[in-house]
Amino acid sequence: MAHAVSHAGSDAHGHGDHGSGGDGGHGHLKLQYHPGLPLTNGKLIVWLFLSTEIMFFAGLIGTYIVLRFGAPTWPIPAEVHLSEPIGAFNTFVLICSSVSVVLCLEAAKKNNAGAAKGWVLITFVLGSVFLGVKMYEYNAKFAHGIYPQMPHSLIYEKADLNYAAAVRVRLEALESKFQADESALREKLGDAATADNPQLKELQDRLAIVTEQKAKARAEETTAATTPNPVERQAALESLADRISTLPRSHGDHEHGLNHDYQWLRLPIRIPGGNMWASTYFLLTGFHAVHVLVGLIVFAMMVPMTLNVARAGFIENIGLYWHFVDLVWIFLFPLLYLF
Amino acid sequence: MSEHAHGHADSHDAAHEDHGIAQYIYVFLALCVLTGASFFTYSSYWPFHDQPKIGWAFMMAVSCTKAMLVILFFMHVKYEANWKYVLTIPAGFMSIFLICALVPDVGLRGHWIAEEASENMAAPRGAQHAAPRHGGDHKGADDGSHGGESH
Repeated sequence: MAHAVSHAGSDAHGHGDHGSGGDGGHGHLKLQYHPGLPLTNGKLIVWLFLSTEIMFFAGLIGTYIVLRFGAPTWPIPAEVHLSEPIGAFNTFVLICSSVSVVLCLEAAKKNNAGAAKGWVLITFVLGSVFLGVKMYEYNAKFAHGIYPQMPHSLIYEKADLNYAAAVRVRLEALESKFQADESALREKLGDAATADNPQLKELQDRLAIVTEQKAKARAEETTAATTPNPVERQAALESLADRISTLPRSHGDHEHGLNHDYQWLRLPIRIPGGNMWASTYFLLTGFHAVHVLVGLIVFAMMVPMTLNVARAGFIENIGLYWHFVDLVWIFLFPLLYLF
Repeated sequence: MSEHAHGHADSHDAAHEDHGIAQYIYVFLALCVLTGASFFTYSSYWPFHDQPKIGWAFMMAVSCTKAMLVILFFMHVKYEANWKYVLTIPAGFMSIFLICALVPDVGLRGHWIAEEASENMAAPRGAQHAAPRHGGDHKGADDGSHGGESH
């Protein structure tokens, strides 16, 4: 197809040239073959697709950059439970998988189907490791109440009266829930409801913690609402927020608070800039993870194939896609974990 | 494809297959070293923790180098014909223009924000007690009447 079109094109071109030039060469047209693009249709389509992908991720990353640098404040990684070594490890995993894809292509080009299959399997395992680590990381965020959106998200931007009220409401809800649970349990146990029943004891312990914290939070909220001195008012709110989850000053000193000691509490947490952080983090890493998942599906489909030289073009195309996924992570890792 | 085109492509392939595997290993090692280099900014040995912009510029330079290595060698763009510029340069320009278009309006919006708007914004870390920000008084912290928007 490309041949025919190019030929016709060159023919017409030749006629035009000679017609206007008037060099008398009409009878001796020397047709020169102009090859079409020196690449297969499949590879052309993959490259066109990748150019749309470049713009897609450029849009996402560009938006992240302007949101992040336009934000009045941004959480440091320790505040949002991001681990830089884990991010670096995942970068290493993706780089290794890129190498295994090119080695798969080289093996296929040499018609070494067995080796090519081995490299595809290795790539699949490495991609799965990347996604597994990503799931572990997401889980750590969710466990700490960091979600991109309410009602799951526990993030508040600052310690103000609204925050103190949210803490009190949560504690009140827990208190009435535990009280109801306790009476239900007593009813169920009947005569066995003694002080050394483990279930009852745990419930009572939790109730005691909630009652104590509610009293403290109420006192702080009252101070924050009524004391004339603004510094004292803010200090009361800061002490409440710090008790629940301390704001770390640097990478190393992330102290944990009530939410860490009693994970069932799930009290509102103060993370300045945390909402925007969560939205951008989950959007960027989520879209990247979807791309990894698509690659993994293709690699899984490749496993039963005979990856000989006839498949080299196909392997090159999926390889291009996979390298692009690696490329995006190369930018996401420093932007999300180290900036 | 014509004989000529075939021959052309083959000579390219042969040229880069000769040093294929070894080249991939070198690129892999370079990528590992560069990943280590950007991770170095996180370590306590990095001397510019107090000036984050130096770290950002360094990491972006490292990332661009890594991206070029992947594009040129793993994606074989170094060995492709000139069509590569048709696809990569417009997409690259689009990315740069996008940033240039967004930075003044969105990225720098915090530099001239209205005082009323700044009251509901998150306070920078450690500034909860210090009043002034963006030239205005930071009143949001001691007044909970408008707190609903902060979430």
